[in-house]
Amino acid sequence: MQATVSPKVRQARVPLRQALPYWIHRVLILFTGLLIFFPQANPGRISLKISEFASLFTTAISRSTITNSMGRILREEWIRQSDITLLMIGSAVILVGILLSAVGGCMSLGNSRMRRRGVLFPLAGSPLMIAGCGVIYRAYQNLVAHGEEVNRLGRIDPNLPGGLTLFLALGILILLSSLAVLILCRGAAVEPRMEMDEKFKLFLMFLPVLLLTFVFAYLPIYGWRFAFFDYKVGDALTRDNFVGFKWFTFLFESAATRSDLGRVLVNTLAMSGLGIATSWLPIAFAVFLAEVPSTRFQRFVQTFTTIPNFISWVLVYAIALAIFSTDGFINSFLRMLGQNSAVNYLDNPDHTWLKMLLWGTWKGVGWSAIIYIAGISGIDQQLYEAADVDGANRWHRIWHITVPGLTPTYMVMLLMSIAGILSNGMEQYLVFRNARNTDVIQVLDLYVYDIGIGQGLIPLSTVVGIFKSLVGVTLLFGANRISKAIRGESII
Amino acid sequence: MSKTNHIKRSLNDKIVNAIIILFFSLFTLLCIFPFYYLFINTISDNDLVSAGAINFLPRGLHINNYIALQNVSDLGSSAIVTVVRTILGTALMVVTSAWAGYLVTKQKMWHRSLWYRCLVITMYFNAGLVPWYMNMMMLGLTNNFLAYIIPGMVAPYNIILVKTYIESIPAALEESAVIDGAGTFKVFTRIIMPLSVPILATIAIFGAVGNWNSFQDSLLLMSNRPDLYTLQHRLYTYLNTSSNLGALMSGSGGVSTQAVQNMLNTKVIKYTISMVTIIPILLVYPFMQRYFVKGIMLGAVKG
Repeated sequence: MQATVSPKVRQARVPLRQALPYWIHRVLILFTGLLIFFPQANPGRISLKISEFASLFTTAISRSTITNSMGRILREEWIRQSDITLLMIGSAVILVGILLSAVGGCMSLGNSRMRRRGVLFPLAGSPLMIAGCGVIYRAYQNLVAHGEEVNRLGRIDPNLPGGLTLFLALGILILLSSLAVLILCRGAAVEPRMEMDEKFKLFLMFLPVLLLTFVFAYLPIYGWRFAFFDYKVGDALTRDNFVGFKWFTFLFESAATRSDLGRVLVNTLAMSGLGIATSWLPIAFAVFLAEVPSTRFQRFVQTFTTIPNFISWVLVYAIALAIFSTDGFINSFLRMLGQNSAVNYLDNPDHTWLKMLLWGTWKGVGWSAIIYIAGISGIDQQLYEAADVDGANRWHRIWHITVPGLTPTYMVMLLMSIAGILSNGMEQYLVFRNARNTDVIQVLDLYVYDIGIGQGLIPLSTVVGIFKSLVGVTLLFGANRISKAIRGESII
Repeated sequence: MSKTNHIKRSLNDKIVNAIIILFFSLFTLLCIFPFYYLFINTISDNDLVSAGAINFLPRGLHINNYIALQNVSDLGSSAIVTVVRTILGTALMVVTSAWAGYLVTKQKMWHRSLWYRCLVITMYFNAGLVPWYMNMMMLGLTNNFLAYIIPGMVAPYNIILVKTYIESIPAALEESAVIDGAGTFKVFTRIIMPLSVPILATIAIFGAVGNWNSFQDSLLLMSNRPDLYTLQHRLYTYLNTSSNLGALMSGSGGVSTQAVQNMLNTKVIKYTISMVTIIPILLVYPFMQRYFVKGIMLGAVKG
């Protein structure tokens, strides 16, 4: 590692006595930084009427989230808006304090001069955190006092949140650790300029991206906890409604749910299966299009057959209505021919799987073919010339040169679609669903949406989601392993 | 090879070619015709449209339907929301992807491959719909316009595309700039960004189409804020309204009552709104097609 350090930055090995306080310091700040996203640690939940989904972060920035379920309480002024404002200010002050400490934490990756400067930030930030806790406590006192005044204490449920103590403690700890750093590291040599090793600089520049990824892609996993509680919207997660694996077993023991899930799985596998069974269509499309002698015609076809891929499923449904509904094209065309026709073809639940496959093909085949069209133009022309010399006809050339040339790409696509067999998305099936075809069109993604968002069965739909995620990951790694074994290349 | 044999073979080939061309012509027609059918029904005489008489050719041309759309309540706000989200969301996504894509090419970064793997894995793994929804609620992003912009900023697939592209840029360019004293940020804005315009344009186009077509996030997150519905979500609600959409129209407005009267036709309103939602895509499509193709090719070589 020493060899990679650029000559500009002198990196002496930091003795443990000096390094340890920094590490404690950094870990503390990182921990505090993560806590701002967790509602359980929210120091601002001074009334139980404040949404249990509000984290410190949201308390500071989003008034609507805090006051979500307070309609009457605010209208009747049992809780004054000014107290909410005070609460938000307190939370914002804590956030600023944490932010300052985080800046200091980042700077502690630099050389000794930068570390020296950096420690000043948490020194300024931690008192802000403590002050913010004080402001929130003040808001709490105001809330209680006002509640007693209007005699509605029972309705506003004042609550001294544990998070307040937690953040107060963290503020004090950060203050102490920065003081320790300041004192313990006094003797270190001070470089003339603030500098940081390139590797840490790059890391810090990348940090915002990582943060966003964490918040939007990894933090949702924390929501899996709902699977272990008897939870309805508005409840709190407490020891009382903790049920362990009840919902996991419920899924298999409840006859109704089991039959629902069975039906949904059949739909899912059938429609994914049909998609996989017809996944060679784009290859055929590309191969035969390449046989057309005119490149102008090829380009023309390619341009227009890819358009449907770029419109949303809602628009596909709009088109379906225009063509197949009672007053759509098919019916009016038949009437024009003199037949008395008024059928709503979209209502008909027969052959739903096939219809969905056809819509998917209409939308996607031209687009999926592009990758193979490009693949064909990448095949060595000499192969074709050699085949011609050997007297091969058109079919021989397709079957023995073109198709084998496209197979590696096809294998990747095939493995990916097998790995995604449970995720066929919900948009297509949601828009095409109606009262009559709902039993045969409901796929797993749509089922999760229906029971979770539609019926509010949050634990159950979380359990189904967990199973789906785990199966998906297993299939993906399986597919990857197969790909490695067969082609010597991974697909992810 | 005898001469007759050769002629026979080329005749055979010609027949096969004719069949292939016929097939592709038909399929292409199948792809275009619905759009054409929708369009002619929005510009033809509304009485004829109601009677189902407009099947192949427009009759009684007029554009009153499009003018009258300004009276359809909530359509305007949805259009603004969608346009703003498309512009802002795409711009932020492109800048973030360029920046992240550039940084992950830096071998020197502390634990680079670990962070990169953390990023890539999110393409294949998600916690599920409900946990995602609860998370958005926790972050205060339900019924909030920012929910359209911020989560889309980090797009792992696009970051991979940019990374692959930047890796193909000769390292000497960057090195000479560094020797001249340029820092990471300057190298990024002066060297990397200008050289990656093709790939940035590609992901911008994909991002813009994705934003324009967005439906699910609006459906899930904006339940209490109909004014924040995206255009697709709005269209979805219209398509599912079986009652006369005329009820949605306010009588007053910049058009004559006659025009409004003409619009009191569920079918035509649905068609016209659909058309308005499709037209921007059809308009940009011909110019952008080469970028689309480039995008999918780059994705394919990723491996």
